[in-house]
Amino acid sequence: MGVRVKTGHTLLAATLGLGMAFGAQAGKYPDITSLPDLKINAAKAELGKRLFFDRRISGDAGIACSDCHKPENAYSHPDALSPGYPGNGHFRNSPSVINAAHKKVWMHDGRLGTNLNDVTREMLTEDYIMNMDMRVMQERAKQDPKYVQMFKDAGYGEPSNGSIRKAIPEYLKTLTSVNAPIDTGKMSASAKRGQKLFKGKAGCIQCHNGPLATDGKAYNTGVPENFDIFLDPMNHHAFIAFAMFQGIEDYMNLKRDPGYYNITMDAADTGKFVTPSLRELKYSAPYMHNGMIKSLYDVVGFYNRGGGKDSRKDSRLKPLKLGKQDIKDLVAFLESMSGDPLTSGKHVWKGPYPAEYPVIENWTQVKN
Amino acid sequence: MSNVIQTPTLLAAAITTALLAGCAGQTTSEAVAAPAAEKSMAAAPMAMAGPAPLAPLGEPPIPADNLQSPAKIELGKILFFDPRLGGDASTGCSTCHEPDQGWAWAEDFSRGYPGTVHWRNSQTIINSAYFPRQFWAGSASSNESQARGAARGGVAGNGEADIMEARLRVIPEYVERFREAFGTQWPIIRDAWRAIASFERTLVQRDTPLDKYLLGDKSALNADELKGKELFEGKAGCIQCHNGAITSDQDFHNIGIPPNKRWEEDGLAQITFRFEQYAKGQTQEGYRKAKSDWGFYYRSKNAWDKGKFRTAPLRYLKYTAPYMHNGVFYTLEEVVDFYDRGGFDEDGRTTLFPENKSSLIKPLGLTDDEKDALIAFLESMSGEEMLMDKPAMPEYAPLFTLAELEAAQEAK
Ligand code: HEC
Ligand code: HEC
Ligand code: HEC
Ligand code: HEC
Repeated sequence: MGVRVKTGHTLLAATLGLGMAFGAQAGKYPDITSLPDLKINAAKAELGKRLFFDRRISGDAGIACSDCHKPENAYSHPDALSPGYPGNGHFRNSPSVINAAHKKVWMHDGRLGTNLNDVTREMLTEDYIMNMDMRVMQERAKQDPKYVQMFKDAGYGEPSNGSIRKAIPEYLKTLTSVNAPIDTGKMSASAKRGQKLFKGKAGCIQCHNGPLATDGKAYNTGVPENFDIFLDPMNHHAFIAFAMFQGIEDYMNLKRDPGYYNITMDAADTGKFVTPSLRELKYSAPYMHNGMIKSLYDVVGFYNRGGGKDSRKDSRLKPLKLGKQDIKDLVAFLESMSGDPLTSGKHVWKGPYPAEYPVIENWTQVKN
Repeated sequence: MSNVIQTPTLLAAAITTALLAGCAGQTTSEAVAAPAAEKSMAAAPMAMAGPAPLAPLGEPPIPADNLQSPAKIELGKILFFDPRLGGDASTGCSTCHEPDQGWAWAEDFSRGYPGTVHWRNSQTIINSAYFPRQFWAGSASSNESQARGAARGGVAGNGEADIMEARLRVIPEYVERFREAFGTQWPIIRDAWRAIASFERTLVQRDTPLDKYLLGDKSALNADELKGKELFEGKAGCIQCHNGAITSDQDFHNIGIPPNKRWEEDGLAQITFRFEQYAKGQTQEGYRKAKSDWGFYYRSKNAWDKGKFRTAPLRYLKYTAPYMHNGVFYTLEEVVDFYDRGGFDEDGRTTLFPENKSSLIKPLGLTDDEKDALIAFLESMSGEEMLMDKPAMPEYAPLFTLAELEAAQEAK
């Protein structure tokens, strides 16, 4: 529904910026340091929390952000391919949104590079995500006295679709890693050995660097296609609608996810996806843009074989010849980047939602 | 049928209102309506230039760029019943236009997209093929553009063109049927609307008692119905707006329909009410103060069009209660009483824009027998109920085989 903005060009600029900052000195990559603190407005974040768990902000009131970004899965979804809005499937894995507020580039193909307000808009309005006409959304919020109060307390005045798209990003800022061993320094010996491999022999740091363990750039690692995109027609029709909207030619015959090609329309970018953050992996299986790899052992195994099969695969990926213990250590290191689950009332809205919209009394006399 | 309830008190109420209005200063909205009614006393209902006479319904017009074909009509029929032509694949055309509810929906407000209620009454599809202006306020100009709008509206189908088109393409039977009907390799959403329009052009009723009578079968209307016809064309003045073969001048009038009380009592309806103000392009100020459906105003933006609606066609009425754009009347008795009172409901309520009320709407002074006869005549504009079974829905199937996908993977 509504207007979807193509922001490929902004992204390209953002990515180039990052590339210049980090990539210039070959061999030297920024460390995986702690994330900076974010300034958060508590009242706005609290409002965003209630919205994130509220199904009424989808077209048929059937699906909430939290149905695809589940707290117990680090705010990702345990299915390889995300569920879709009712009546639709999806064609990508639902990523963790923990630490999303620290990113500059979003979505597996990196097609959004502006801000979380735009990402939220895309989630709300996309046909196969929440299919929300934002005018209906605004009027629903205005019909719920609890929201009317919360918007006021947050300094937004009356509920509006604009402030909904501000409050949700404010809440997303509260979803940041807490007590991850890599931040507290309480890493096991195995994890420490894994960290050495990560920065050295295994070469992971070339792409997974900086506080989020991502350089924000797109690479082709040769992850195999998930055939369920095409074998399940509900997923396939969402994919067709997506590819059609992105302006990809011959989208009816497409048998693979084009990835970063969406943005550049340069064949060389086919099959590239943005390096994901490696934080909170412990809870966010399965992995990769299409959920094709089930466990962290399997991911490390994948890299150990030099990645997958693709004529355009990145030349950095070579068989690593890691031993059994090396693999264990790498997995231990990956796990040390996961903190406490964010599943308490601090992050999860546990309050009820009204079963019905109360009537506005004295309707003929009050202003709409 | 035709047990008109005696309403002397109401009649009296209407007269009192008229009198009150005479005494300047009484400006309740009901009272302001009266002067307009008085003025119109002068207008002779059957002026010489006269409205188009009632006529038998001919063949529906077929647009040159969308000719009928059996393949198209059959495809359109399946699509009409397919809920996948809506956002969450639950709400298709027939969901709100149920054949056994008069090809409409038997509540005051139509059911809405899940999680919503509509704000207008669902209209029958029967004979919609004849209307150059569609919807209560005439905002669509053909069955084709109407269908597109219906499938998309936030409280109607809430479906985007791209997702609906994509769905059709993964349903092999549709791919085949679209190819046959339109010669395209893949279904195109615009052709879906064209096929539906072709199907709708078959949903016409031309053999009502009135049509038979007008075609020369003088026994097709009984004495009561004939008396009603005379009233319709004379004393009751209905023909001034409900005229010609389609029983509508296709013009816009404010006849005094009061707002539906549900907007005061139902939270979900209040949400849709405000949404529609936005959807229909209201100004901020209009959005804040609107308390009824402004009708044709949303299109013309002229103050004098507030509360005007397209003259509703009267064919097939027998099966399409409730009546009016907001379904405030559940029986034809109520409708006739409303007109008889000069455009007031039984509580004396009328439009919030009495200044725009048509001068043709005024107390009629009909006797009970006359009301009975008028209703009998209205019902003679309906023939047999047109029922239809839901066709079998074609199924989704993958477009590629596993072997094709594996080959593509190998070739990467
Ligand atoms: C129907 C499932 C679904 C729902 C509902 C949903 N999302 Fe998502 N979300 C996804 C998928 C799938 C992606 C990845 C899409 C892609 O890469 O094309 C995603 C991506 C994101 C991202 C980008 C993450 C990153 O690191 O790139 C954010 C942030 C996000 N969603 C937030 C939200 C918010 C906020 C809501 C509610 C307003 C929401 N999502 C509702 C499935 C969903
Ligand atoms: C050439 C850049 C590059 C290198 C080197 C690299 N990665 Fe990745 N990594 C990526 C990209 C790109 C993805 C996403 C691929 C996809 O989704 O299809 C990814 C995905 C992952 C994921 C899945 C994360 C998730 O949330 O789904 C893990 C885990 C991972 N890499 C770990 C490693 C490890 C461990 C190493 C070193 C052995 C490594 N990577 C080396 C670019 C790289
Ligand atoms: C959610 C309920 C709903 C759905 C779904 C729906 N309609 Fe309607 N339809 C209505 C309502 C209500 C009206 C009157 C709307 C107005 O005037 O604003 C209407 C009006 C119409 C009219 C105008 C008739 C006239 O007399 O002018 C036609 C034709 C029509 N619909 C066809 C369709 C078709 C074709 C579809 C499917 C593509 C469809 N409708 C889907 C509720 C619905
Ligand atoms: C000034 C023009 C005008 C006159 C005169 C008039 N009507 Fe109407 N009629 C309308 C309009 C306009 C509507 C639709 C109003 C609305 O929905 O708000 C309507 C609606 C109706 C409906 C409801 C149809 C439906 O599908 O809901 C009936 C029944 C009806 N009129 C019968 C009559 C009868 C009987 C008379 C004579 C007593 C009459 N009308 C006189 C303009 C007129």
